[in-house]
Amino acid sequence: MTDARKAPLKLAVVGHTNVGKTSLLRTLTRDVGFGEVSHRPSTTRHVEGARLSVDGEPLLDLYDTPGLEDAIALLDFLERLERPGERLDGPARLARFLDGSEARQRFEQEAKVLRQLLASDAGLYVIDAREPVLAKYRDELEVLASCGKPLLPVLNFVSSANHREPDWREALARLGLHALVRFDSVAPPEDGERRLYESLALLLENARPQLQRLIADQQAQRLARQQSAARLIAELLIDCAACRRSVVSEAEQEQQAISELRKAVRQREQKCVEALLKLYAFRPQDAAASDLPLLDGRWGDDLFNPETLKQLGVRVGGGIAAGAAAGAGVDLLVGGITLGAAALAGALAGGALQTARSYGSRLLGKIKGQRELTVDDGVLRLLALRQRQLLLALDQRGHAAMDAVQVATPQDKSWREGKLPDALSKARAHPQWSSLNPHAKLNQAERQEQIDLLAADL
Amino acid sequence: MTELTPLQNLWLTETIRLREEHAGPLEDLEANRLARAAGGDLPSRIQRRAAWLAERDGLSTALKHWLQGARLALVLLVIFALLSGAGLAFAALSQSTVNVFWALGSLLGLNLILLLSWALGLIFAGEHGATLGRLWLWLSEKLARDAKAAQLAPALLLMLQRRKLNRWALGTLVNGLWLLAMLSALVLLLTLMATRRYGFVWETTILSADTFINLTQALGALPALLGFNVPSMEMIRASGDAALGIESARQAWATWLVGVLVVYGVLPRLLLTLLCFWRWNRGKAALALDLNLPGYAQLRERLMPTSERLGINDAAPEQLHRVESSVSEHASEGALLVAIELDDQRSWPPALPKTVSNAGILDSRESRNKLLEQLSRFPPARLLIACDPRRSPDRGSLALIAELARNASATRVWLLQAPPGEALDSARLGDWHVALQQLELPFADCAPMNWLENGHD
Repeated sequence: MTDARKAPLKLAVVGHTNVGKTSLLRTLTRDVGFGEVSHRPSTTRHVEGARLSVDGEPLLDLYDTPGLEDAIALLDFLERLERPGERLDGPARLARFLDGSEARQRFEQEAKVLRQLLASDAGLYVIDAREPVLAKYRDELEVLASCGKPLLPVLNFVSSANHREPDWREALARLGLHALVRFDSVAPPEDGERRLYESLALLLENARPQLQRLIADQQAQRLARQQSAARLIAELLIDCAACRRSVVSEAEQEQQAISELRKAVRQREQKCVEALLKLYAFRPQDAAASDLPLLDGRWGDDLFNPETLKQLGVRVGGGIAAGAAAGAGVDLLVGGITLGAAALAGALAGGALQTARSYGSRLLGKIKGQRELTVDDGVLRLLALRQRQLLLALDQRGHAAMDAVQVATPQDKSWREGKLPDALSKARAHPQWSSLNPHAKLNQAERQEQIDLLAADL
Repeated sequence: MTELTPLQNLWLTETIRLREEHAGPLEDLEANRLARAAGGDLPSRIQRRAAWLAERDGLSTALKHWLQGARLALVLLVIFALLSGAGLAFAALSQSTVNVFWALGSLLGLNLILLLSWALGLIFAGEHGATLGRLWLWLSEKLARDAKAAQLAPALLLMLQRRKLNRWALGTLVNGLWLLAMLSALVLLLTLMATRRYGFVWETTILSADTFINLTQALGALPALLGFNVPSMEMIRASGDAALGIESARQAWATWLVGVLVVYGVLPRLLLTLLCFWRWNRGKAALALDLNLPGYAQLRERLMPTSERLGINDAAPEQLHRVESSVSEHASEGALLVAIELDDQRSWPPALPKTVSNAGILDSRESRNKLLEQLSRFPPARLLIACDPRRSPDRGSLALIAELARNASATRVWLLQAPPGEALDSARLGDWHVALQQLELPFADCAPMNWLENGHD
């Protein structure tokens, strides 16, 4: 573990004012609350750091700096610092500038940036790719280059329609900066962070192991987040599919039950949205789903759903074999006299008894004129579609984005028309799997198994 | 207090996860701090946090009680297995004339049938393996005395189920108990046969003697490989009529019986116990927290933050450097139009009256200095500065505008319209308005050509 003693790599995020330096930091650190972002120039007036760690070990320190605003005048000033007959190199000239009084007055902001870049291993030069390549940007780069630190240009806002990436590439190449990264901090490309760190590793050969670790960890975490999210969605779907309300068939009470069901499903969806946002480190107000369309409820006649019947019939048959494992123990206890009865009892007590009881009470309800209300297939499809869409949006969203994700009713047909996954039709027959029902048994291994299957499907 | 094993640690962690999932998050500031301070990878931090919370809430004690109960139950089961094994042997050798096949059936029949059903259960357990678990959940729900411990049993079950370990754990238990029962039967069988005299017979009504001879020899073939005697054909045939009084025949039948019991009773259970135990141990070693579970995924940021703020290390100044603008006192003459930082997408300059001169587009330092020098020598009476409000109004541009304005008697700023097909960002336009108001310069979004030409609107 030689890396453990290594100090983290220090990077200064520099650039013109208003090009999205703080936004880039927010996205790289997945921290929506970092610094302050606004359309005004000179929003950030201080230098603030953030640290990226892997397995508790700090690997990368990023510093947000104020924007450079007056590079033309600064460069002019720097050139005039040289006394006649003297030839200073970049860092020496900067040192003289930083000692002088203008570094505390007119060029105070610029001085902060240069001090931080001098203290860092490299700089990320953020560019608003929508801007033309103006002389002031060239002068900025010249001032920054005089720090003697590697600079990696980062093209921001490249997903905007009127960006001028080719102009910038050419201009940067002319200045000797050939490595550059496209990274839109609002909608970062899927492999954006990896490319950024890989390009950095080219500039900073010594830091390659650290950066590789960071890349691997971020990849792993992205995957883990996707899997966690799929589970959350699967739980939502199982909860809704298994949801069941018994109501007397009277128009008024039916209406009330329907609106209650609708409310419960809506709240459950909101809970899932919040959990997804939390998982992706966004704030609750960062997403809004439009209200569920007309939810009629589903008049359940799935009392004769094959799965319900299977539970009662086939499951007992299959259960004997499995229950026999329990039965063996029980058999010993009863002295090894009867083998079948005890094994059967094990199977029955295990599952079928419960099923039979619930089936019985439902049948009784039916005879008494009660009706059962469940969530319509269409609504399940819609929930699945919407949550998947939200997940996709969150996965691609930078933590610098300011507007809320709007999850509209999607038009995608794949989930809408295909067959619903088996796990959902199974859940229909297990009211105890839904957290929306009373007496829910959420820890049943079978429920977890179906959630896993459904999550894999998603 | 003994240290918890890794398995028990995982179990407690899973219990805490379930508790938080069902009853909302626990107050965990101190636990998180301690876990963070202790370091290590994420699973060990999660476990440390869970261990601390479990200790605080008495879950660890509940777990220990539970384990004590389980141990007690195991002891009872072992005693029971030993007793029922002995019972089997007693039942087989209850009379001095022993019907060998009845004895065999009583010793092995139940064992073999249950073994078969267990094996079937194992094969089909993929789908129905949860039945037993449900029974156990139901039992533990009924037996759980306090809410804290209510999640203990589900947690263990879920954790084992995830790796399909419960069947191996259970297999070890069941086969181990049967092994004990068989061993106890074997010991008692040997004791009984050592201390009492038994005669061995077989009886049939419809089957022929050859069937029994073949059956006996077939059953004896495997034990014979291990050195157990098989009664000779004559001996078997003779035993069909009456129990033989000859010592060698008694011994031959006795060793045959013991051999069959060992090979078909003890050995399969022994092998299966070892197999299950091996699988269980292997699975146990591979058992780890499933970090993809939302409950754990959410802990990551709290226990091992991937990013943390380092705070401000160079504070903001109380106020930024202000750009001042004033008006030239020198005698001035003429009108001038100048543009700042326009891109090449615009056609520039617009059509100008003859009295207005065009100073072109300022971009680089050289062009700035050249114009400023010229202006200081021949200050214009009216200066119109054209700006593209799509650029951001940074201090450099404002300083330039102010400096230009200082060299003219009157200055106005023309904020250009967006080129066709594009729209101006209203927020940025607002920033320009604020900045120009601070410079006290009049601005408009169309060219004040009249003013520029004649000096009045």
